[in-house]
Amino acid sequence: MPPIGSPKVPSLDAREQFSGWVERALQATACSDGIKAGPSPIRRLNRDEYAATLRDLLEMQLDVSASLPADGAGGEGFDNAAETLFLSPLHSEKYMEIAKFAMDFAAREFKPRAKILIARPGPGVTDEQAAREVFANFLPNAFRRPVTDAEMLPYIDLYRAARKAGQTYDDGIFFALRGALVSPMFLFRREPINDTGAERPLDGYSLANRLSYLLWGSMPDELLFDVAASGKLHEPEVLKELIGVMLRNEKSRNFANRFVEQWLHTRDLSGTKAPDAALFPTYAASEELRSDIRLQPVYFFREIFLRDESVLSFIDSKYTIATGGLAKHFGIKMPLKQNQAQQPHWVEVPEGSNRGGLLSMPAILAVSSYPYRTSPVLRGAWILEALLGTPPPPPPPNVPDLEDSKSHTASKSVRERLAQHRQNPACASCHSRIDPLGFPLENYDVLGRWRDTDGGQPVDASAELMDGTKFSGPEGLKKVLLDRKDLFVRNLTAKMLGYALGRGLTLSDSCTIDDIVAQVKKNNYSSRTLLEGVVLSRPFRYQAPEGKKQ
Amino acid sequence: MKDLRISRRALLRGGAGVAIGLPWLEAMAATTPGSAGKPPIRMAALYMPNGVNVSAWTPKGVGRDFELSPTLQPLAPLKDKVTVFSNLWNQGSKGGDGHYVKEAAILTCNTIKKTPGADISNGVSIDQLAAQRTADATPLPSLELGVTPVAIGVDAVVGYTRIYGSHIAWSSPTTPLAREINPRSVWERLFRAGKGTSANAAKMDKLLLDRVLGDARTLRTQLGSSDKQRLDEYLSVMRSMEERVERSSQGTKRTWKPRAAMDPKFLPPERPESHAEHVRLMMDMIATAFETDTTRIATFMFGNAVSNVSFRFLEGVTAGHHDVSHHSNEEEKLKQYQIINRWHIEQYSYLLQKLASMKEGESTVLDNSMVLFASALSDGNKHDPHRLPILLGGRGGGRIQSGQHLVYGEDHPLANLYVSMLDAFGTPVERFGDSTGPLAGLLRDV
Repeated sequence: MPPIGSPKVPSLDAREQFSGWVERALQATACSDGIKAGPSPIRRLNRDEYAATLRDLLEMQLDVSASLPADGAGGEGFDNAAETLFLSPLHSEKYMEIAKFAMDFAAREFKPRAKILIARPGPGVTDEQAAREVFANFLPNAFRRPVTDAEMLPYIDLYRAARKAGQTYDDGIFFALRGALVSPMFLFRREPINDTGAERPLDGYSLANRLSYLLWGSMPDELLFDVAASGKLHEPEVLKELIGVMLRNEKSRNFANRFVEQWLHTRDLSGTKAPDAALFPTYAASEELRSDIRLQPVYFFREIFLRDESVLSFIDSKYTIATGGLAKHFGIKMPLKQNQAQQPHWVEVPEGSNRGGLLSMPAILAVSSYPYRTSPVLRGAWILEALLGTPPPPPPPNVPDLEDSKSHTASKSVRERLAQHRQNPACASCHSRIDPLGFPLENYDVLGRWRDTDGGQPVDASAELMDGTKFSGPEGLKKVLLDRKDLFVRNLTAKMLGYALGRGLTLSDSCTIDDIVAQVKKNNYSSRTLLEGVVLSRPFRYQAPEGKKQ
Repeated sequence: MKDLRISRRALLRGGAGVAIGLPWLEAMAATTPGSAGKPPIRMAALYMPNGVNVSAWTPKGVGRDFELSPTLQPLAPLKDKVTVFSNLWNQGSKGGDGHYVKEAAILTCNTIKKTPGADISNGVSIDQLAAQRTADATPLPSLELGVTPVAIGVDAVVGYTRIYGSHIAWSSPTTPLAREINPRSVWERLFRAGKGTSANAAKMDKLLLDRVLGDARTLRTQLGSSDKQRLDEYLSVMRSMEERVERSSQGTKRTWKPRAAMDPKFLPPERPESHAEHVRLMMDMIATAFETDTTRIATFMFGNAVSNVSFRFLEGVTAGHHDVSHHSNEEEKLKQYQIINRWHIEQYSYLLQKLASMKEGESTVLDNSMVLFASALSDGNKHDPHRLPILLGGRGGGRIQSGQHLVYGEDHPLANLYVSMLDAFGTPVERFGDSTGPLAGLLRDV
């Protein structure tokens, strides 16, 4: 990093102008051959997918995810990116333990037991015939695609070995199935290799799996398997219909939860961004309130897609998600449904309450604060990264962090100190973009409660953009963001495509993004159009030939 | 609506949290500690994120005649068992960003590749190099521990996946090792590994592992070249598990014997109430693993790179770790920084003292260990990779000439220390990373 104030540093704008030009030139070249599919790498089920798949496969209400190590993220910032799903010795031990635990459980419980033991030896049915029937039913479910005889026979051998070791029919079956749960056929998602030398549509089962892990975070159900088998899954109308059906299923909460928590970083609320328990004892003490706060953006997201609301609702909306607890937290009256006030639900935002869009939600306002106080810088940077997809460059090392400076008189407000900060040319190029997006949210405290004063002083929520535009407060900020709605829509599309494909996006994927964004705009920013655009996109439905790196 | 209620709570807790419980008492078969013999050498690395307040770190004086600095005071009772190094650095960490390039490479002495994830690359870490060469000596080849889960997401500001900042142990340049953060799981894992498997259960496990390895081989033939690599990870961990099952089931023929028994009444919590308690429990796990000889290699991360764990539980600290490390040279923040650094040294000292209290014939487990304490930055404010804060506790079976402050010329390779440690551990290497030889003045010749 050059010394502060060095005249040789090209301005941030100049640098971005240049890199933007380079990127556009590269992209134009990549798109000139039309939209292409990307690679379809093998991927381990991540922790959540593994737990959900096991639950759906065995129909048991158990969540084993806490027993596995958490997964890191890659690609567009999600923990389902194929390239970053490593396998450690710790995983192998846990897989063995959980498989045993799950099968012991299944052997005891009525529902999973009945689901597995569909055949038993009896008059006219030999042990082996029954076992074969059981495996022919279970393995395609566990491996999430048709299973050949050659793949099934070794499991029958395993069953035989268990019988030879003195186990009963039931025990032998559950033992062999334990093996299936540790098999790479279960633990990995994989798509048949494309050795045709050219792009081709994915096979129905692979597409069913992609769809199901996108919208449910779990394995396909019987309906999806049936559609896959019928060969109709590629038809756009069928896919659109299925998206609606699958969103309405409770399992789409997995999608909402995992996508939102990682896109908006709210997963950190239970980690390093947890509001300080000593300063916010009510929050720390109430599991109910924490739950309401954390789930508000998750439910909001799901409702927007269920109702096909505009994606711009994320910036500002006439509706939000509320509970009795949230209304109390906000200190406002909200039109809650009487009989379900404790459940998060879709309600109209009261006039003048400043509770529309994501930026009014406590989860967002807390995760973009310090645990002990708000920060216009953190909130501004959060907006740039999470909403607009234009993260600020890192601060140069060793520059004074004026925001917290004690070398300045205590009477100076954060705003005054930041103003001083921006006089430093090394800081100004970024802070003059970051800070104006954070100031207007100063009306919200760490937990998103409205305030007109802070530390005895009236809150000053005014801001000025680099181009001289003046605005103030959350409503002013939302207008500024709506003026940049194309950036937001593009960013959300890229995030969703990255999540759906479970890999880092490539230059050629940016053509797909452009295409989807154009459809969304044309369709009045319809959220369903966005989701359909992703699912119907070429990279989602096709696979590139093996060997050709994108 | 009732279902919704359940899923809400499940979502909130990140799962209904069903523990995979062992039938605990049943598993309490008495284990007789093995005969003494020559005690094995153990090696651990404790990693502290975010650097140190340099002015309060470096001891006064050189060689045996040195004075512990304020931050290192908690090591006073063990001063002759500890070595302090000054002026070491990792050349590979020059450039790159402020944290990841330095912290991910602290045990690999390599340069990581800048990537959001697609082509992650580092080197093999010193602990894993040693573990790969001694894997069959103990029930577990190594332990990877932490107190916080892997950091979430990609650091879009600098363009690195946070996986880098969340792992110091790498079994291959492309494979970071997952860490265990639940103390009870670690305890159960140690217990199970030490107890071994009955011949019958092992036979069944082997049948099962055989089967899935067969599936993996079939699958492998159906994959493209880049995917083969991922499946090879699977094959490798499953094969080593098969070998472990084999070894642990040999009954009286089993060559490994625990060197101490585990306390069957101790049952650590799954979710410790505080950061401090959590760290202490993990120190206990390392000590237990070493005392029983369940493994001889452990790594522990006090936090991920850029960790902003709140240290407001310490008197005088008002902010999170990373925030405080960017102290802007203000006296007040430097003071807080030092308090946080010193707290880490107290935990380190706790582990060393615990190991010192474990007798092994004439010596102690600490005498037969090498416990590295390292941060990948000196001054966190500057992201300074020079003059790293590095300590080594223990005497490596008598090879380490402890009780010294060893000062080298500016930018001396940290990798040289690793060459010496690998030598003392019994797994010598010619070179490691940017090493130029063993670290002068550390090892006693044999």
